Amino acid sequence: MKKLKKNSNINQSSFYFEDYLETNKKNKLLKKINNFQDRIYLLFFFFFSLILIFSIKIILISLNDKDVFNFENQKSKFSLLRRDIVDRNGVIISRNINTFHVAVDPKLVKDKTNFLLKLRLNFPDLSINEINKKLKKGKYFRIKTRINQVEKEKFWSLGEKAIKFEPFQARMYTHGNLFSHVIGQVDYDNYGVSGLEKYFDRELRNKDIIDKPIELTLDSNVQFIINKELNNAIKTFKATGAAALLMDVNSGDVVSLISLPNFNINQRKNINELKYINKITKGVYELGSIFKTFTIALALEHKLVDENTIITDIPRKIKCSIHEITDMKEHPNNLSVEQILVRSSNVGSVMLAKKIGIENYKKFIKKTKLTKNPEIELEEVGVPHQINWNRCKLETISFGHGITTTPLQITALYAALINGGKLISPSLIKDKEIKKTNLIISEDTSYKLRNILRKVVSDKNGTASLADKDGYDVGGKTGTAESYGNKKNRINTFISFFPSNKPIYTLFVMLENPKINKDLIYNYRGIKTKAPHNTSGWNSVYVAGKIIEKIGPILAINNKEFIDQHVVEKFN
Amino acid sequence: MLKARLIISISIFVTFLVITSAIKNKTRILEKEIKNLNLELLSKEKNINEAQLDFHYLSSPAEIEKKINLIVLKNIIRSYFHIFFLIFQILLDTKTISHN
Repeated sequence: MKKLKKNSNINQSSFYFEDYLETNKKNKLLKKINNFQDRIYLLFFFFFSLILIFSIKIILISLNDKDVFNFENQKSKFSLLRRDIVDRNGVIISRNINTFHVAVDPKLVKDKTNFLLKLRLNFPDLSINEINKKLKKGKYFRIKTRINQVEKEKFWSLGEKAIKFEPFQARMYTHGNLFSHVIGQVDYDNYGVSGLEKYFDRELRNKDIIDKPIELTLDSNVQFIINKELNNAIKTFKATGAAALLMDVNSGDVVSLISLPNFNINQRKNINELKYINKITKGVYELGSIFKTFTIALALEHKLVDENTIITDIPRKIKCSIHEITDMKEHPNNLSVEQILVRSSNVGSVMLAKKIGIENYKKFIKKTKLTKNPEIELEEVGVPHQINWNRCKLETISFGHGITTTPLQITALYAALINGGKLISPSLIKDKEIKKTNLIISEDTSYKLRNILRKVVSDKNGTASLADKDGYDVGGKTGTAESYGNKKNRINTFISFFPSNKPIYTLFVMLENPKINKDLIYNYRGIKTKAPHNTSGWNSVYVAGKIIEKIGPILAINNKEFIDQHVVEKFN
Repeated sequence: MLKARLIISISIFVTFLVITSAIKNKTRILEKEIKNLNLELLSKEKNINEAQLDFHYLSSPAEIEKKINLIVLKNIIRSYFHIFFLIFQILLDTKTISHN
């Protein structure tokens, strides 16, 4: 049994060995195949993923047809550094353009003499000696900044490797001088240094809205006409300067702001002379008889008088301390309140101011913020002198002396007097939210004032007859005053509004030191005459009349009410 | 069986390889086209930007006034010349008549 066991054991052992070998071989083969299949699957998976990725990419490209172009981070994207500034009609006032500086790398100059010769022949305005000196130093330097396309091509055609063009963004102002005091300028790094460019510097550089321009309330056409008329006035009356402001009486939108002399904002120069200040926002003046309107308004508002109340026994002159207050012309002894303003009587105004009293006048000036800093979107604003309410102050202020303010503030206040009493903030930005307005006088007083101011222009005794233009229904008040601090200088102003029955615009015109033009023949109420005095009525009013006549039709284009009334629709 | 699997796997592999390559090529072509179009767009944007500026400059009231003045001046000169030549012709005719 043992033997059998032994034999069987031997046999078994041999069989097992044989079987094991075959199985092992099979297993190995199977493993190899499995490995091969795994690799195939892996490759399959790999290629499938690739196809999936590319397919997704193609699908994305085909679906997002808008985003394919103008990738935000694309290097070649045309991106401006500052937003455009446009007027209320969308006309571009300032925009950035790509331009170049030209520089020279001396290491790349092969033939120095030839290089200098080429430069001398093509660019005679360049200083060759200086370039030669810089070439000797061997350091990279600029030879010309802010070149135009023609100059660039000229430099390019020299065929010199040493000439390098440095890309640069320059701010261009399409209207040159026209908006110099409003728009301001930027420095070489595109940062605003004056005017709106400085005030809205952060907004103008905002990358998120770089494609959206800043829209102003200004109108290029109106601005051009007023600028031209003021330039003519400077020549006609030999004035040293002039300024004008056209404003919407209800919204405070500044349609035109001119201060002369002006300067070309496309050329960078150091301008330090006082005559170049923005006379409308920074100039602080004693504006004279314009203030009589406020005296009358206060007297009416406090119901001390009516427009027809007769002020009797008006003296020829009033003495106050050492000052003697007189009228320029002789007026009747008894004048109605209306006639005091129409004839611009100083003495009559003083008598009314005494009725009003110093406290009421003080309150009015405080309420109207006349002596505070003006509010507008410009850095260049003037600070009116603070009033020292000493003896005779009330008397002098009643006819506009001893009080200073900026033309901007007085125009805004005038707008309030005629728009129903709502004090508005002047603005240069289109569709700006109108702040809550203070009521400074009642609607009734405003209505009465409008009628009186219309008579200043239309009445035979009025001081502003030359502005009585047919169809425009102009109202306003003249002001002739000496310049604050320099009695030799004269400021002739006229502040008007139109149409007087329902005012829309107010126009302020100021001439600095105008002279009588002996050659100028006026058509004064149908009579040909020369100017008898150097007063506002004979120069500023004349200029305002001319301006209103020319801008009227342009302003009427956007005036729905005017169109409804006067424009006949054409039916085919 | 094994051979069949192998052939199928290889054929799938080759097919996918070809498809992938084709898709990749197409994507590259598309990307190149997009790049070119973007460059074209960039130059057009630049041109529009400058053309708009030129338009607003040339149509500004000051420029229009300059051009009007030039046209008016030309017309005046033309009409003056016309009058001058007319007078000259009359004088010449008068001379001829008197000679005759």
